[in-house]
Amino acid sequence: MNRLLALPRFKSTSTAAALALTAAIMLVPANLLPVLSTQTSGSNRSDTIFSGALELWKQGLWAIAAIVFTASIIIPVLKLAGLGWLLLSAHRGAPADPRRLTRVYAALDFIGRWSMLDVFLAAFLTGLVQFGEFSTVTPRSGIVAFASAVVLTVLATQAFDPRVLWPATPTRPS
Amino acid sequence: MAQGSRLQGSRLGADTALVFSITGLVLAVPAAVLPFVRAGKLGDERISLLFTGVGSLWDGGMRALAVLVLLCGGLLPLALLAALAVLHAPSRFRWLKADLRFLHRAALVLEHWAIPEVQVLAVLVALMKLGSLVDVTTGPGFWCYCAMALSLLAAQRSFELAPSGPPPSARGGKAAAPQ
Repeated sequence: MNRLLALPRFKSTSTAAALALTAAIMLVPANLLPVLSTQTSGSNRSDTIFSGALELWKQGLWAIAAIVFTASIIIPVLKLAGLGWLLLSAHRGAPADPRRLTRVYAALDFIGRWSMLDVFLAAFLTGLVQFGEFSTVTPRSGIVAFASAVVLTVLATQAFDPRVLWPATPTRPS
Repeated sequence: MAQGSRLQGSRLGADTALVFSITGLVLAVPAAVLPFVRAGKLGDERISLLFTGVGSLWDGGMRALAVLVLLCGGLLPLALLAALAVLHAPSRFRWLKADLRFLHRAALVLEHWAIPEVQVLAVLVALMKLGSLVDVTTGPGFWCYCAMALSLLAAQRSFELAPSGPPPSARGGKAAAPQ
């Protein structure tokens, strides 16, 4: 724990790249495998993240569907794409606009947490909907892949140090 | 976004943060023990507490996931509230200030993992989703949890732990003590 908390040592661009890449790989099973099974008096259905959001849309809960779709599909992709952009800029060295890139980093850092929505959702539904054969919700393996992808992206964002985007000599006293 | 940064270094900001973090800590108790949500289906009623879901995940063999939900939704928000309370305590509580730098770093890391507001949104989404399947009503535990999440956000916003701006000022050295 102590080593993890020593931020400057923990931060490294190559660690961030490795974590982001692993997260990108984990997103594939996360989106292909079912995350939840719902059993309702005889009928049984398994939902992936996408079909779960689509189902909400079909029920007429458009706002909710949009929230779930944003948190579970758009944000992870956006975050990994953004991280890839930052990592490439850092790799090329001395980007032209470090201030803007640092803002991008702060934005990525902020939106990442909302991806956990689907994990909390699965946990909550599993705990609440246990009515035997009438209605039961069971978590499936996709949610584990999804949770690990989210955790890895958060770790990747934390491993990346936005200071590498700035020139070595301070341009402005703070 | 960070309106609180204007208060940085001021005792007012630190006091506000202190009040909100203690409020959050107190609210966490009813949030954990009072009924969170009641669900009924064909006369069968089920009362779930905040961490019923964690228990079900654990029993279902998804232990890593259960631990993740327990940490992000419950234990780490508590730890962050406690850390903020100590960091913002007035300086006359010297005995609290022994290892402030470690605590400050810990709070900066915890900010990424303590996400009760996401859990609140997840519960709201779940309630909408379940509307057609079972009868659900929220209990007092849920409202205490919401208030706890808001207190945590307010505590974080009223005093910014990490000074924003261009980074050349090396971190790791002076951990901004709230005086």
